[in-house]
Amino acid sequence: MELAAQDDRIALILGDVSVYLFSDFQEKYPDRFYNMGICENTLISVTAGLSSQGFRPFVHTITPFITERSFEQIKVDMRYNGFGGNIVSCGASFDYAWDGATHHCYTDLAILRLLPGMEVLQPGSRKELDLLLRSRYNNGQATYFRLSDHPHDIDVPVEFGKGVLLKDRGASVTVMTAGPILGNVLEACRDLDVNLVYFHTIKPIDKELVRRFKNTKILVIHDAFGLYEAVCEVPELSVSYHGLPDAFCGWYGTLNDIRKKIGLDTVSLRELIRQKAGAPGKR
Amino acid sequence: MIPVCKEIRQDILRISRSSGHGHIGTCFSVVEILHAIYGVIRHDPKNPSWEERDIFILSKGHAALGHYCVLARLGYFDIKELDSFGAFMSRLGCHADRHKVPGVEASTGSLGHGIGLAVGMALALRIKKSGRRVIVVVGDGEANEGSVWEAVLVAADLKLANLTVIYDDNRSHSRGLQICNPAEKFAAFGCEVAEVNGHDVGELRTELVKKQGTVKVVVAGTKKGAGCRTIEDNQYEWHRKSPSDAELETLLRELDEKTI
Repeated sequence: MELAAQDDRIALILGDVSVYLFSDFQEKYPDRFYNMGICENTLISVTAGLSSQGFRPFVHTITPFITERSFEQIKVDMRYNGFGGNIVSCGASFDYAWDGATHHCYTDLAILRLLPGMEVLQPGSRKELDLLLRSRYNNGQATYFRLSDHPHDIDVPVEFGKGVLLKDRGASVTVMTAGPILGNVLEACRDLDVNLVYFHTIKPIDKELVRRFKNTKILVIHDAFGLYEAVCEVPELSVSYHGLPDAFCGWYGTLNDIRKKIGLDTVSLRELIRQKAGAPGKR
Repeated sequence: MIPVCKEIRQDILRISRSSGHGHIGTCFSVVEILHAIYGVIRHDPKNPSWEERDIFILSKGHAALGHYCVLARLGYFDIKELDSFGAFMSRLGCHADRHKVPGVEASTGSLGHGIGLAVGMALALRIKKSGRRVIVVVGDGEANEGSVWEAVLVAADLKLANLTVIYDDNRSHSRGLQICNPAEKFAAFGCEVAEVNGHDVGELRTELVKKQGTVKVVVAGTKKGAGCRTIEDNQYEWHRKSPSDAELETLLRELDEKTI
């Protein structure tokens, strides 16, 4: 709302979700608010078309539908054409655990980072979202903001494209993570002898920070794909991944139920990190 | 056939022969459509990014060669550049790149994208209270894509009176999924609809200059390969074929004989 009041190039395109959250916006700026319906391909194309004429549009709907379903629209209409737009998703990873595998989404970061010039962000907290959104919405690029219903509440420095070194103990194992799962990861490794690096920008990944730990064993812990692949862009690393299995997570329940099932709860993570940290050798 | 449209077809044949590329049939079906569009829109070949220009998008990107031939004749670039069509370092690919080709507003090729972009552009211009308009050409084969119908639904819901869709009904779809009674379908989606002979520049122009109350779809009855009997009668063979020297001679002769 604050941004929309300052910048009349902001337009909001909704895919029939979160509509009531924006009723104030709709009332104040009716010509810049569109609940366009459940047609994600067209939502992206229209957003790109608005951007081509100087607008700074935001398009918002559920993660798998706006990213996986509309991947080619993002590729062609936004990136190949060079028309920008801010894609803001809701329902990250297992936020909608109970809705099953059609509503789980963990490939979005990984596939979008493959598109040339795409900016891929996973703000893990409200502060990160607020600062990243303000700093990036206006650049005319295609930028993806992956929102979660389960943000962490850890206060970390926020600068686009910069990772955050949360723990540097000179340890031989470095844990790297991104997004809301930081809450579990930080708790799991609180007194263990590991370094901890956190990212809210998946693309461009902070290669300089990754490179600092190339002589350690890097363990990427992430409840999605994308961060591991981004970290692996830095050559000559020793990296392993703990996160999603190569299988649909065919369970329901809650986010925590699924995190526990696939070993992303605090207890499982602590055990895993303890085993890794027990390995000999210092950097 | 009016002389300029015959000349455009001659260019298309000549370039297809020399380059070994080009969907001649789909290019031929839109020659009059393209000629009519550039006759009604505000544009400036010497200043392709003129801020007051109207916007034309060729959503059926396979007809890029036809579009290039029209743009070159209008003066967007030197007609000699057509000879580079499809070559490694050419600006003129078999599907157009808007970053490279003056006068091309959107890079298309994958079907069902240009129309969604056109809806966004038309919406943007309406929000800005601009008098500029958007015209987009969609193919009937392209209309197999669900995204075309999504975009039309959204355009009708938004009542975009500054958007005109020309539906090139050249019966491409007869090879696969048939779109029967397109005019009825677009009307049922909430569009204004007109049906014209897509090879009659006068009919097209008349519909393109009429005032619209909402998004308008001009269903243009056309023939793939219009102007050359050999292509009209052998559409499968000529969907993506470049003529030999002997075939080029035949096709050019047919162009001279044929009247649309």
